[in-house]
This record gives sequence, structure tokens and C-alpha cells, in this order.
Amino acid sequence: MFKISTLNGNERMSTQELLQAINAALAAGETEYEIEASGQHDIGGPLWHPEGKPLKFIITNPGQRVGSMCLEGTEIIVEGPAPADVGWLNAGGKIIVRGDGGDTAGHCAASGKIYIGGRAGTRSGSLMKHDPLYEPPELWILKNTGSFSFEFMGGGIAVVCGYDSEQFDSVLGDRSCVGMVGGKLYVRGPIQGISAKDVKIMPLCDSDIAWLAANMPQFLNEIGRADLGETLTRWEEWRKVLPLTYDERPKKLSADIRSFRLREWVQGGIFSDVCQDDYAVMGLVAKGLYRQRIPVWENARYNAPCEFNCTASIPTQQRFNLLREGKIEEAYRLVLDYTPFPGSVCGAVCPNPCMESCTRGEIDYPAQINALGAYSAGIPAPTPAANTGKKVAVIGGGPAGLTAAWQLARKGHQVTVYEADDVVGGKLEQAIPRSRLPREVLLAEINRIRDIGVAFQTGVKVDREMFAQIKAGYDAVVVATGAHVPRVFPWPGHERIVKGLDFLKAINRGERPQVGRRVVVIGCGNSGMDAAVGAYQLGAEQVVLIDVQQPAAFPKEIAHVEAMGGVLMWPVIAKEITEQGVVTATGDLIPADTVIITVGETPDLSFLPEGAPLEKGLLKPDHAYRIADGVFTAGDTIRPGRLVDAIGTGREAALAVDAYLKGETFAAEAKNKIALTRISKAYFKRLSETEIPAAGEDYQRCISCGSCRDCHMCMKSCPENAITRIVKPDGTFAYVSDDNRCIGCGICAGVCPCGVWAMHANAKPIPMYTMAGIS
Amino acid sequence: METVRTQDVSVNDLPWKIDWRDERCTMCGSCVAACTFTAIEAAMERRSVTISTGHQPEPAQRHSAVPVIRQRSGTAHICVGCGMCEKVCPNKAIRPVRNEDNRVNLLTRAGGVAIKRGGRNNIMADRVLDKVIVGRISQMTDPSLDSERHTFDVLAPFGRVLLPGELPFTVNGDNLELTAKTPPVHWIYPLIFSDMSVGALSTRAWEAIALATAYLNEKCNIPVRMSSGEGGMPVKLLKSEYLKYMIIQIASGHFGWNRIIKAMPHMVTDPAGILIKIGQGAKPGDGGLLPAAKVAEHIQAIRGVPKADLLSPPNHQGLYSIEESVQKMHMSLNAAFKFRVPVAIKCAASATSVSVYNNLLRDPYYICGGFFIDGLQGGTGAANEVSLDHTGHPVVSKVRECYLAAVKQGRQGQIPLWAGGGIGMTGNAAADAFKLICLGANGVFIGKILIQLLGCVGNERGRCNACNTGLCPTGICTQDPRLVKRLDIDKGAQAIVDYMVAFDQELKKLMAPIGNSSLPVGRSDALVTTDKAVADKLAIQYAC
Repeated sequence: MFKISTLNGNERMSTQELLQAINAALAAGETEYEIEASGQHDIGGPLWHPEGKPLKFIITNPGQRVGSMCLEGTEIIVEGPAPADVGWLNAGGKIIVRGDGGDTAGHCAASGKIYIGGRAGTRSGSLMKHDPLYEPPELWILKNTGSFSFEFMGGGIAVVCGYDSEQFDSVLGDRSCVGMVGGKLYVRGPIQGISAKDVKIMPLCDSDIAWLAANMPQFLNEIGRADLGETLTRWEEWRKVLPLTYDERPKKLSADIRSFRLREWVQGGIFSDVCQDDYAVMGLVAKGLYRQRIPVWENARYNAPCEFNCTASIPTQQRFNLLREGKIEEAYRLVLDYTPFPGSVCGAVCPNPCMESCTRGEIDYPAQINALGAYSAGIPAPTPAANTGKKVAVIGGGPAGLTAAWQLARKGHQVTVYEADDVVGGKLEQAIPRSRLPREVLLAEINRIRDIGVAFQTGVKVDREMFAQIKAGYDAVVVATGAHVPRVFPWPGHERIVKGLDFLKAINRGERPQVGRRVVVIGCGNSGMDAAVGAYQLGAEQVVLIDVQQPAAFPKEIAHVEAMGGVLMWPVIAKEITEQGVVTATGDLIPADTVIITVGETPDLSFLPEGAPLEKGLLKPDHAYRIADGVFTAGDTIRPGRLVDAIGTGREAALAVDAYLKGETFAAEAKNKIALTRISKAYFKRLSETEIPAAGEDYQRCISCGSCRDCHMCMKSCPENAITRIVKPDGTFAYVSDDNRCIGCGICAGVCPCGVWAMHANAKPIPMYTMAGIS
Repeated sequence: METVRTQDVSVNDLPWKIDWRDERCTMCGSCVAACTFTAIEAAMERRSVTISTGHQPEPAQRHSAVPVIRQRSGTAHICVGCGMCEKVCPNKAIRPVRNEDNRVNLLTRAGGVAIKRGGRNNIMADRVLDKVIVGRISQMTDPSLDSERHTFDVLAPFGRVLLPGELPFTVNGDNLELTAKTPPVHWIYPLIFSDMSVGALSTRAWEAIALATAYLNEKCNIPVRMSSGEGGMPVKLLKSEYLKYMIIQIASGHFGWNRIIKAMPHMVTDPAGILIKIGQGAKPGDGGLLPAAKVAEHIQAIRGVPKADLLSPPNHQGLYSIEESVQKMHMSLNAAFKFRVPVAIKCAASATSVSVYNNLLRDPYYICGGFFIDGLQGGTGAANEVSLDHTGHPVVSKVRECYLAAVKQGRQGQIPLWAGGGIGMTGNAAADAFKLICLGANGVFIGKILIQLLGCVGNERGRCNACNTGLCPTGICTQDPRLVKRLDIDKGAQAIVDYMVAFDQELKKLMAPIGNSSLPVGRSDALVTTDKAVADKLAIQYAC
């Protein structure tokens, strides 16, 4: 027995002195120690007997950490209370405190047993652990603990008996078991403020009771309170605290906003007075009403460039579409709705602005619209509509007048054409060189006009008096007398000039007007070229063509003249015409025996009654081609231009006359050119010149800008299979997109070669907001 | 051959290029259908090549046309990089890629129109807050707190706080008794959901934030408040219990106040406060702007105006001085709510902020209940880009100066300082809040991060920022029902709630190590910086 008192009068052994004394006794083989301590720390461990014998300590008045790091084989009995850290890191010892324990009793204990016969302080049992190689640690407390007990407890068994603790709200203090992850805790008495996020409180099960019943007597015996056996074994008063398992622990907040919104939030939503919202959530891709965009099949809503650029508005893309469908007759006849001169004009003398703008031209070569026109030259006239009984006089049998007559006759009106010349045809007949326009083509087309019942009164020069008669005798009159007064500038010597139009007319009449060896043509338009060619054919040796500006003639015509030896000079301003030739503004002389001028013509409108609307010598009709009640005009009388322009206004004037005769209002068809960006040129292979088919097969190359070519690309590309092709009762087809399938992706528009499909913003309103307020 | 001229705008002039993978695409159309900016389209592409497969040159032509998804060139439909195409693509076949060499700034002023956009400053992304770190960690000197277990008092005042000596107490026996009314003060969470108007936000986005506010209060014990912004208030909210969580804003346009005033007799509770907006950090000196594209019927109703670009004046009409502002606006709004509701004021951070604060501190009526300073990194739904990128003032030093000015007079904490503008911009709003609080702020206010939590994909590097167009792909900053309905209000509110609960933990994770169980207002000793200039300016420790 090692017995020591640490106080000697006023002298107190230090912790070091006491522990060294104990160590010395232990080394000497001592097994029993009775220590009258005075607050010395760390008494009782970690110690072991050199021969492995058990050690026993009986201590009074210890300091902190009594039994800390205590090893198995050591038994410590503290008579009375012990301060903080009883059994700190207990590694197997049996530690009995017969009074109160201090704070952090059993802190980090991982094996052994600690019995506290009173209360324990804050953080008692915190960080207890269980090393699986050994029996679990036990911490028994007779009464209660302070707050923060069993924090971060990771293993072992703790028992809080709650004896003599009625005055406390919680026998575990406040905020017990925070961070507890292991072990178990038996408690008798009220519990409050325990960490609900870490632990659950449960009733005892049989094995719990069995364990407690088996171990309780030893605890009570050790602390000398065997008398409490009955009080502390009423098991219905006990509960156990277990840490939540890893799976039971919420890993994150589980807020339920939806339930809160539906049950507790402002009913219907805070905006429900001005906003109807079902709170349904749409995906990024939606169908039907919620699509951002919708496809629209805009078939023939926009003009193909050829159609747009043609002043006669011939929809060549439709002709090619008919050809593609094998409707050859129909295709060739279609053009006759627009012009009676597909052979003479489209196929021969027209500069073909249609082809100039042809989209296909951007790929390889324009579609051969000119040659296509020639195919229609011999097509028989369609049967006109039934006779309306209305009579229309057309004054002037040129392209404008004949077109108007043709259109009006087809509509069933009785048309008479008054022509000053001996034959109808106007400039086509009179001025266009036969080399450019074979006469048989022109005659055939004129005959076709005659065939539908148009009467020609030739050799009739209408004057004012006659005009009045005609006006009185017809329901409507179309003035299409063209421009036949050649312009000549009043240069000195202008009387020497040969007027180009007269010159060309003479040639076409079969006369051979005299030309000198050297010829100068003033004006480098197509008429100038025609005059130059005529001059060469009449024996001229050298033709010089001058202009104040860049020649306006078509390259083909210029090339023809140049091939014959003609020389074009510009800018050259004529100042005087002399016997030697043309003197220019710079004083140079261009020698000439004959000077021909081709700088345009003006109309002779002297036959019209006073009051016709004129501007700069030209007629200025209203938007319906009208210059007086029942009197209309078309062609060069409005604005001298190309043949196709005359045909265009001739047709439109006819439509205006037709509307007038029917008492309807005429409105010219608005033309909108399709945007090139809508066309998918990518489909079309770039062909070499030798690969170009005949014009009748050029539907292979025609893109069909703006008009559906019925290729099915859209239908087959639609990712939602939303597009179907329907055939209407009249036999025409259409492609339709099903709103309920379509997502508005625009692939149809993207793949459409013709630019028929277009994507529009989905303008269908979604009733959501209101200004008035929803009650 | 296609004719392309040097001045044609092409895709490589634009700020984002669409990277589309032919071999992965199935032409399902989702990307095109989802894009609100019409920036991409389907098209056909020619694939004509001459190949040779023989053992010697044997040309064979192969022609095909294939469908593609392509970006539209030109400036009318510029891709903003929102990435909805990428999000919706099932095959990872498409994505926007930032184009560093874009020329967009040279191309988008067509028609002589100044560039407008939403978002934040896209140039001054550099932040002082990121150069400041919590450097004083209590260890041996004084114990840290345990953020998990300690009770923290995370509350900040909204309202005028009186000095002890100014409190109207008299001693009556053993009791202190109030002899006069004191100014209203609410102790609220040190973070306010700030000022995004009904109009700037969709109904759903605004409601999601309001819903999150209520949830945080009712279910999470986080007493956060939401400021309405300058677009009025939903009438049903005005008449509900939840009004107590709302701070009603009044700005120079006074939009929506007719319905607010008319609702007063029907209010079942007081609002949490009133915020007078004088200016905002995103565009100081410039008024609010709601483009016509977003002025839908309900906005017209709540604001009482027709469909038009709605511009708020840069100034409150009729206020010409700080004194007048205090007297007129503060007094009127205090009076309107019977002196029961605290009234605060928000200004853009500015070289003159300290003067304003000093003047407010001298408020003899105790009617100024807070000074909100909004820094240059604040966001906006629409502004001129020149204002966004080239005007403004950093908020950090301003807050510090205001706080120290108050300290010098012994009046710190009397008029609470709230700081905003870019809070959470680099990801952690709690860290930003904590640092600003240490420098003297009582709390912070956040805006942009809220809509980012709702799903906004915009950022400070020029991504999206199309809040002004009405084409917001996430349904947040638009009034187009087709887009608004993309937003899941519950999910949105959930994200905000989650962020705030985490924010609360993170704030405590910063309070605990410095040993503060209440907000460390002005505890600048907790901060250090490795930037000497910052250290000098903010009067905090320099460390290296």
C-alpha cells in the first residue's frame, strides 16, 4: 500500500512531485495506492504494473483529468467529487467517482467504465468512441449532465439516471448530442433541446432492458447507492437516444416550396388580379400555342425574280412547274395570259430582263426563258370567253394596242383595232429589223390575235373628228398610238439628219434608202444599232456610233455592230452637222456622208380632244390607265420604253378596261419580289454550258423561286412529321403543318428550295395578362 | 461563288459563334425552336466536290445538298451566348463559343442608336472584396466559436437607431419607462433581396423571389426582407400577411404607387419598410428604363401607363437637396405609414456618398432609417451600355468611409448602412457580406444573384445580358407569356431558399472563427489584404 498525503501544513505537493512519487512506487512493484490529493492533475493513468498486476487507487480531492488515459487493470475510486475531465481518453480503466463529476466527464473515453455517483458537468461524454477491438466504453451518471453533453459522441454507452434531477427541464442539459454519430445513450427523465438533426429518441427494447438490468447493480454498488435499485429500474421511465444513421440524416434541406405555395401562400398567386397563371412549366421546345414561331406556306405569295422583273409579269416559274409536271400544253399556253407575243418578243427581240435577274444565273446560267417563249409562238389561241356584248376600240395596232386587244378579246369583248399603217404590228412590224425578228413569227402571232376575233381596221389614221366618232361608237377606247415622232436636236445643219425611225421603217417596207459610204449614227441605243446594221446592209463602209453617255444598247446588239466594223464612241457631244459630217463640242470632225439620229421618239397625240392629261408631251393616266371617262391608254404614249413595257401596260390597261366595263374597280396587282435569302440554291448543281438542257427541259434548272415545286423536302425533313401534302377539290395541292405537332423549328423553311415556307412570330395571343383586373 | 464584300457583317464579327457539329446533329430542330433570339436557322448547304478514287486522277463529281444549322449573320439577330441551344440539344451538337475577335462594338450602333442592354458592368470585373480575406482567426488568443452549435445573433437594423442618451426613458421606481415614441426599427436578416421591379422581372420571377422570402421567414427562421423595386406591388400581396416581409420602393418614376396607396386601408399588416431609391449603382445619375417590349398589359395596369419605353427621371422631381429629400420624401413616407414603418434611402455609390451620409446623420427628426449604397457592379434590367460600363463607383471604400465618418462622430450604427452592387458576383455572397460588415456595413442587398439562382445565365463577361430585349430565354426578364411560362416558380424559389440557408451557414462559418456571435459590424481587424493600397484605403491590416 502506497499511501500519501499531499499536504504538509501549508506545503502542497505539485502535480509533478506527486506523479513522480507514484511512478517510483509503481516501479518498486506497488499495486495499491491511497492518495489524499489536493487538486493534483492526471492521477491514475496511463499506468501499468511491471508484472502486469492490477492497480487500485483510492483518491480524495483529485484535480482535473483523474484517470485520464487510464489503462485496463487500473481501478480508481474517488471518494467525493472530482473536477473536469474524469476519465479523459479512458483506455480501459474502471473509474468510480462517488460524488459529482466536473465538466467533460468521460471526454473521448474509448474503453473502460466510468461511474459518476452524482451530477456531471457540461460536455460530459463528448467525443466518446468505441474501438472495435475492445468492449465499448461505459459512462454511468447517477443524476444529470450539464449542457452540450455527448457532443460528437461516436461510440460507447452512456447512462444518465436522472436521479434527484426533478428541478431540471432536461437531464441532459441544453443542446445535447450535437454531432452525435455513434454509440447509445440511456436516459431517465426529461430531455429538452437535444439535437434533432443528429439523434432520435426511442423507447427501450428488451435487449436494452436486459443490458441495463444486468449492469445497473454493479454501478449502484460501486457508487454505494444499492438502495436505488428499485427506483432506477422502472424501465418505462427510461428512453434511449440513438444517433441517426448515415442514411437517416438529411443530406440537404428538403424545402417544399410547392406545398407552401399551394397551401399557405396568397391563393392563386400574388399577381392573380392581373395575371392568369396556371404555373405550368413549358420546356424550351414547345408545340402548338407555345411555339415561338410558326411556319407559313406562302406559295406564290412572292414573285419570282423573273416574274418580278418582267414588266409583263410573266410567271415563268409556273411555266416550268407545269413542264415538270408534264403539262406541256398548259405550260406553253400559260404565257398567252400575259402576252400575245411570246415568240416575237420573249423569244426574239426582248432583252429578257427576266433572265437578267434569274436566280439560276447565280449558279450557272439563267433559265432559258427567251427560248421558252419561242416555243409558245405556234400555240393556238385559247377559246375566248363568251361574248360580253361590249365593244372596245383600240387605236394603234402596235405591241401595247395588240396586247390590250388580245386580252380584251379573250375576255369576250368585241375589239376593233384602228391602225394608221397598212399592216398591224407597230414597231415590231415597222422598225425592228427582220434579221432580229423573223417576219413569219410575228405574222403568226398577229394572226393568232385575229383568230380570236379582233378586227383590224388598217390604213386608218385617227384624227380628232374620227376619235369622237369612235368614242361614241364604243363602250371603251384604248389609245395605244405609241411614239412615232423622232426626236431631233436643233443643231446647226440638223436638216441634214436622217431620222432613224423613218430609216428603219423604210427598210422594213422594203425600200432601200440611200446611205453614204461613211455613216454616223447619233444615239447608241438598240435603235442605233439597228440603224447601223441597216446602214451596213445598204452598203455603208464605215459606221461610227456616238453617244453622250455609255451606250444603252444590249451587249449582244453592240457586239453585232462591232463585228460588222462599227465603232462606238462616247462620250461625244455633237455641236453641228455639216456637209463633212458631225462636228463635236470639242471641235473635232467625225466625217460622214449620212448622219442618222436615234435618240428616241415622242407620241403624236394631236387627235385627242382638248383636256387629255399631258405631262412633257406624254399622257398621264390615272392609276387605272384612264385619261378620260371610257378612254384608256397604254404603251409609249405613257412612257416610251421597251416592247415588254408596252405589253405590260397593254395588258394592265386591258384589265382596267375590263373592270370598267363590268363596273368594277381596277387595282393593279402588287408585285413583291421574293427575298433571295429565302431560296436554297445549294440543291442545284452547277452545270457546264454543255450540260444545259433544251429550254423545254430547263425546268430541271429552274428553282421555282417563291412557288412550290412540290418536291416534298419539307415534308420529309420535318423532325416532328408535322407536314402533310393535301390535294384540294380543285386538284391543286398544298402543304400544311399541323400546329399540334410543329415545334416551330423552321427546318421546313430552311430546306425549302423555293422559299415558300416562312417562319413568322407566333402571334396567337396567350391570354395571361389583363389590364382590367380579374375578380 | 457568292458575292461577299468586306463590309458585310459576318458571323466572325459577332461576339458569339455557333459551333455546330454536322456529324452529331440529327436535325431535330430543338436548338432552333428554343432560341429566342432567332440567332440560328436551318438551311441547305451545297457539298459539291470533285473526287478521284482511281489509281490515277479520275475526276468524278459528287453533288449533294445537306441540311445544316447555321448562325445568322448580320446584327439584327445576334447570338448572345445564352446557350439554350446547347442545353436543349440531345446530341451535344451545338454550342455558342465566345469570339474574342468580334467587332460588335463597331457594328451595333446602327441608326445612331446608343447600345442598351441589361446585366452588370462588363469591364470592371476586378473586385476589392476578392483582395480582402478574413485574416484574424481567433485561436490561442481567444477561442473560436463553433458555428454548428453556437447561437448566433444574425440580425441587422432597418430603421433609425437612437443613442442610449437619446432614448426617451425615465426612471419610475425600479422600472425604466418610455415617455415618447421611438423611431421604428426592425431587426432583420443582414441581407435584403433588392429592388427588381415588377416589369423588369416577369410575374413568375418576381413571385418566385417573394415566395422564397416568405418561405425563408416562415419555415427557415431566416428573417430576410424583399424590396419591391420601382414597379409597384402586386395588390394581392399588399393585402396579405406577407406584406410584413416586403420593403416597398419608391423611385423617381413613382410607378405603381396609386395601387399601393389605394391598398393601404386594406392592409392587414405594415410593410417591413420603405426604400426611397435615389439612384442605382449600375447606372448612377440615370433613371430607370423599362423598354416597351416588356410593358405588357399587367405592367400597364400596375404602373398606370400605356405601352411605351418607360423612363424614370434621373432625379426625384422636386428634390434639390439632401435636406429637402429628408424633409419631403422621408417625412412623407414616414407619415404615410403613421410613423410605424422605417424609411431608408438608396443611392448609387459616389464620390459624394460620405457627404450624403453625414447629412443624413444630422437628421433631426429621426426619420431616416437606413442608407443603402449601391456599387458599380450592381445589375440592371436595361441601361445604356456606356452607363453600365463607364459610370459608377466601387462600393467597398464608400461603405468604409461612411462608417468611419460616423465613428468619428460617435454615431455609427444609428443610420444603418447597407451595401450592394455585385454581392456574390464571384460566387460567395456570404463572404462578400461578411467582409462588408467587418468594414462597417450593417447588411447587404443582392439582386443579380437572385435571378441567377432562378436560372439567369447572364454574366459579367458579356453573356446574354439581353434583359432589355424582352427575349429572356429563361422567362425571368420578359413579359412574353411564351417565355415566362418557361420558368418554374417553385424550383426558382427553391434555389433561392437553398442558397440562403447555405448563406446563413457560411456567414456563421465566418463569424465563428473570429469569435463573434453577433454581426461583426466594423470589426475591420478581422480582415487583411495583400494589397497595400487597399490596406491603406480601407484601414485594414496589410499582410504578405
